[in-house]
Amino acid sequence: MQHMEARFDMARSTRRLAVLLAVAALVVAACGGTTTTPSASSGGGESAAPTTAATEAAAGVVEIRWFCCLGGGDAPEQVEVEQAVAEAFNAAHPNIHLTFEAVPYEGARDALATMIASGNGPDIVGPVGIGGAEAFHGQWLDLQPLIDSTGYDMSQFPESTVSLYSVGGQGQGGIPFAVYPSVLFYQKDLFEEAGLNEPPHDWGGKYTMPNGSEVDWDYDTVREIAKLLTVDRNGKDATQDGFDPDAIVQWGFEPQRDDLRQTGAYWKAGTLVADDGTAAQIPDAWVAAWKWFYDGMWTDHYSMTGPVFESPEANPSDYPFFTGNVAMSQNYLWSTYGVGDSGEDWDMAATPSYQGQTTAAFNADTFRIHKDTKHPTEAFEALTYLLGDGSADLLNTYGGMPARPTEQDAFFEAQAANFPQEIDWSVAREGVNYADVPNFESYMPAYNESLDLLITFGTKWQATAGLNLDTEIEDLRTQLQAIWDSQ
Amino acid sequence: MTNAPAHARRRTSAFSGLAWRRARWGYLFIAPWIIGFLAFTLIPMVATLAFTLTNIDLAQEEPLQFVGLRNYETLLKDRQAWDALGVTLKYALLALPVAVILPFLVALLLHARHLRGSGAFRVLFFLPYVVPFVAGVLIWGGMLEQQSGWVNAFLRLIGIADPPAWLDDTTWIYPGLVIMGVWGIGAGMIVYLAGLKGIPTEYYDAARIDGAGAWGTLRHVTIPMISPVILYTLVLGIVEVLQYFLVPLVLKNGTGQPGGSTLFYNLYLYKQFFSFQDMSYGATLAWLLFAVTLAITAVLFWASRRWVYYAGEAR
Repeated sequence: MQHMEARFDMARSTRRLAVLLAVAALVVAACGGTTTTPSASSGGGESAAPTTAATEAAAGVVEIRWFCCLGGGDAPEQVEVEQAVAEAFNAAHPNIHLTFEAVPYEGARDALATMIASGNGPDIVGPVGIGGAEAFHGQWLDLQPLIDSTGYDMSQFPESTVSLYSVGGQGQGGIPFAVYPSVLFYQKDLFEEAGLNEPPHDWGGKYTMPNGSEVDWDYDTVREIAKLLTVDRNGKDATQDGFDPDAIVQWGFEPQRDDLRQTGAYWKAGTLVADDGTAAQIPDAWVAAWKWFYDGMWTDHYSMTGPVFESPEANPSDYPFFTGNVAMSQNYLWSTYGVGDSGEDWDMAATPSYQGQTTAAFNADTFRIHKDTKHPTEAFEALTYLLGDGSADLLNTYGGMPARPTEQDAFFEAQAANFPQEIDWSVAREGVNYADVPNFESYMPAYNESLDLLITFGTKWQATAGLNLDTEIEDLRTQLQAIWDSQ
Repeated sequence: MTNAPAHARRRTSAFSGLAWRRARWGYLFIAPWIIGFLAFTLIPMVATLAFTLTNIDLAQEEPLQFVGLRNYETLLKDRQAWDALGVTLKYALLALPVAVILPFLVALLLHARHLRGSGAFRVLFFLPYVVPFVAGVLIWGGMLEQQSGWVNAFLRLIGIADPPAWLDDTTWIYPGLVIMGVWGIGAGMIVYLAGLKGIPTEYYDAARIDGAGAWGTLRHVTIPMISPVILYTLVLGIVEVLQYFLVPLVLKNGTGQPGGSTLFYNLYLYKQFFSFQDMSYGATLAWLLFAVTLAITAVLFWASRRWVYYAGEAR
């Protein structure tokens, strides 16, 4: 009897153990699943057939992998062009096979991080902006030795755009390709409806107020007219008694709000890194810009609050200006991809000045070579093709303004053909001269963690009324310093 | 070998004969799972354990080296990691009872003998589960929006002048997230329904003869008989809630807003791994999550001896 019970207990224990193991496997599988990331193939991207590459590699052909899309370039029609450019390169270079790998933008950063961490990094990455490249600080090849050895002509680019890629002590990380100056987009009909003159197209120009007086085109002026252009459901503007901030149907001004540094850079170029390279600082102009932005949302009401910005009713696409319900909006030239949705009454003006100085935050895209490439010479050959013979098609599909001044006329002619109304494209062309130097996306210690903190604070300010911004900004600086000190 | 006991020889020869031929088919059929488990779960897990002892960090340019338990020391001092774990456990306390009890109650209703059109109700309750999750989150985000959301529009309609900012207030964010979670109870409901349908009707007949009412039948027949299903739902619920990730990522872009209340542990882990590219520390965080999940599950299984009834198991 005792023997039977023992056997029974043993069977029960075995069964429990089996159940426990099964559950452990279940938990393990579930936990393991959390770190799965989209790969080049699973991410819905397209890549050249590996068998072709393998066959060619076996025949002595060097394979160069081109990774996209850390900074756009993942739309199906763009992928088609990128594939075609890669094929054209392959046809002209029998000794190199350029393999194009597209990972959708949303998963591209994770995918690239995983590739690099597993020692399977690509050779070329792009198009990628300055911030996107800084997110992988230390991962890029210094191109200077290759530029020197091949005699690549860097004098074809303005010095200011070349220097964008030689910051952070990493050598010459890139060669200029596409630039995107900022402008102030505005709706002409909304100005006319409010009885206001249109903003100046001349950089550093004056603005004529309704009473005929000429004033500086600065942020004080923008605040004043933005309130007149902010209208509630009952037709009252933000300066009138009875204006209802909870029922706004038209907003006066919309900043580019992707990054707090950029909000500051529209006022004045600056950096969060003090001269010693280790201390965190907040430039005075950025403090002023952030307070102006905050008051614009919560006190003066001419900018959307965070919850309104996030709501699909007020902002169904990426940028509220595209709805036609925003009178003025600071943004980059690349946003022409969606500006057409706002109607045919928009145009471009100069961005406002701050303390007599006009600055327009600047974006720039290029291609970079990963530092661990096994074939730097061949990768550089492919890179210079993308920046050279392949650039016309690529710039066209990306909507990028060529960094080479000699190609800019053709670019603006093509842009003008895309829009039926008269757009003053000279504003954008001139805007390059007001680029923020140093660029707001430039190097800072612990780049990704610092950027995450900036986004967290920015989101909080956009979602919360009644904050003491002085305290908030000091808190931000302190936390930034703590992150840098922990490195 | 010649001295081996007779029964051992018999077992060996039996296993190498007919039994082995039968068993190899079994092995063949489970081979895809075993290979998948090894390749995609076990080996990566062992690799991440090795990562925790190194300094793989794309943001730093130090050479790869063995750092011992340094990442674990960092974890012990990382207040944000423990805060994120606290956020997760706080949410679990609210979400888990709803995730376990509500599908059970719905299943009970749908199992009721007198309910007409139960098949249609079953489909209706299950349907939201097949809606792509991200789409569901975005739709719910719009519905719970303070100013223009339908939920608050309804609350205003019934006289609540100042309805909550569900997703922008630290007090209301968790109830808001739980409401979103209710959308996906369909899967749990189906499992419970399957369990309920498996209970022999004789037990209910016997209970009725013994004078048991509805509550008595539920307490003494239904719940004990369905207790393995409850355990199963609870285990899965715990694993899911500890890995809660996608909703805060989609809704709040991973910022943790409002006030850090949506910085769940798994989101913090993800950010360390991919956003901050600190692979070794991310792996360390993953192992803590695994240990916590395993510990809670083990305790649950240990405790289940007292409340889970297996009909085929001798007591």
